[in-house]
Amino acid sequence: MASPLIVEHLIKEYGALRAVDDVSFTLEPGEVFGLLGPNGAGKTSIISTIVTLERPTAGSVRVFGHDVTREPRAAKVAIGFVPQELVNHGFFDVSEVLSFHSGYYGLAHNREREDYLLERLGLWEHRHKKVKQLSGGMKRRLLIAKALVHRPRLLLLDEPTAGVDVALRESLWEFTRELRSEGLTVLLTTHYLQEAEELCDRVGVIHQGRLKQIGDTQSLIASLTHRQVCVQLKEARLPLSHPLLTRQQGCWLEFQLPYNQNLGSLLLEAGLELSALNDLRITEGTLEEVFRLVVGGKV
Amino acid sequence: MTPHLRWTPFWVLFRREIKRYLKVLVQTIFAPMISSTLYLLIFGVSLGSQVTVPGGISYLAFLIPGLVMMSCLNNCFQNSSSSIVSAKFAGDLEDLKVAPLSHTQMLWAFAFGGLTRGLTVGTITFLVGELFFYLTTDQWLGIAHPGWLLFFLTLGGLTFAKIGVSVAFWAESVDQLSAVSSFVLLPLLYLGGVFFSVENLHPLWKSVSHANPLLYLINGVRYGILGQADVAVGTAALVAVLALGLFHLLGLWSLRRGPYGRW
Ligand SMILES: Nc1ncnc2c1ncn2[C@@H]1O[C@H](COP(=O)(O)OP(=O)(O)OP(=O)(O)O)[C@@H](O)[C@H]1O
Ligand SMILES: [Mg+2]
Repeated sequence: MASPLIVEHLIKEYGALRAVDDVSFTLEPGEVFGLLGPNGAGKTSIISTIVTLERPTAGSVRVFGHDVTREPRAAKVAIGFVPQELVNHGFFDVSEVLSFHSGYYGLAHNREREDYLLERLGLWEHRHKKVKQLSGGMKRRLLIAKALVHRPRLLLLDEPTAGVDVALRESLWEFTRELRSEGLTVLLTTHYLQEAEELCDRVGVIHQGRLKQIGDTQSLIASLTHRQVCVQLKEARLPLSHPLLTRQQGCWLEFQLPYNQNLGSLLLEAGLELSALNDLRITEGTLEEVFRLVVGGKV
Repeated sequence: MTPHLRWTPFWVLFRREIKRYLKVLVQTIFAPMISSTLYLLIFGVSLGSQVTVPGGISYLAFLIPGLVMMSCLNNCFQNSSSSIVSAKFAGDLEDLKVAPLSHTQMLWAFAFGGLTRGLTVGTITFLVGELFFYLTTDQWLGIAHPGWLLFFLTLGGLTFAKIGVSVAFWAESVDQLSAVSSFVLLPLLYLGGVFFSVENLHPLWKSVSHANPLLYLINGVRYGILGQADVAVGTAALVAVLALGLFHLLGLWSLRRGPYGRW
């Protein structure tokens, strides 16, 4: 099977501004990929070129083997897209909007799927409301329903959880996992890094238009961050010297432990037998740390 | 379920276009109906007795085809352009770009959506005109060549709906849209012989008028209803076909290159 998405040497310029600068990456079937980056990094610009809202200045984008500029319709059939900005639909109510959208994808009688999505996304009781009468979170869910109505194979979510409350956010991530288990490939952007860490199989960090890091979420955390190990001794000791020791104060010792080293050997090396310990705290590295390091130019 | 990309997207968008104007019936059907009625009342009935037109017909009879075509064209233009402009406001114009609709499908869907409204308002205008005609002359105004009538209304209407698509795509504000409508389309319509016969004009103005494509469209409709007009029907038909072809290409280009982003 052709890759769900191949972005190759993509450049997007708006006048003199280079918003996307030579970005390449590939999505594997059935994965959730997070595109992370600060405001203005170029995430939306990348997604916009995938869905043909913007033309690439250079480079290429292929969706399941179809070049989006040369065979746009074949590519578009496979894509579901949730834009970052909320959308109104002047005259129509929720169920009309959804069924028109289904029709644009060539599915005129898709009632079952439409009703399922309205139900699943908690819009069923609002289906006769005009879109402008919905709250922000409901509009966001309608966007998601629209994106899924034609059963896409690649889902692009541009900040799907912006302005969405905690409970709903969790249920959206749950839904995303469910979709992945059905074989859907997902590309998402979000500023909630903790959620990205839980949800994304792989992430790419983009900064000022350049893809700075890409990789398996857990491996990135492991290779770029440390575990912080704090040991409380039963009684204070003389100053200890150990390469991984970062702080010593009273009974407390603080170590930065690389992921390729284990706790047992650290304690052994530092001469800290278990019977001497009063307490032990371990703080794992996070995607947020990775993000800060990458965006701060420290890796 | 397998998607049918050949007809379904066109059909759905076409139906959406119709549904849209039916939701705002007051603005889209009744308002134009009232303005047509006023024109007929003021120009046709009250001033009409003092105006003579060539061919020995009453001014009211002369006016009715012109007004039918004017209301048809105006509403075709209005329908496609306001649909696109309001979609730019709402942000849902992007939906059309993101979905696998071809430019040709979009253009025809907007064109036929507009045409449906144009023909509806045109028909209503004709019926109101008939009523006035009957009240003033005690007889009904016949339709001399129904085929030609439909031909010119359809081609003209599709053309204007496509002009509406192009203008709405490139307009950067509602003001620009209404500027095109009031500084270009309206003068061309008025000078195209809706209200007067170019035969009555000074020879110089008469030949200038012949450069206005709307003269041919309006007189085509006049020929369809009255069986006589200021220009030959063959020439008028040729102009109608060429205009549709030209603005079809312009419409396609606009859909391909125009901005879908929100205002
Ligand atoms: N249509 C446009 N015209 C001109 N410049 C643009 C346009 N769209 C985006 N930009 C610029 O391109 C850069 C990247 O913007 P983009 O929207 O892709 O960022 P982003 O990563 O999605 O940011 P955010 O997290 O705030 O959504 C920014 O500097 C932005 O100002
Ligand atoms: Mg963005």
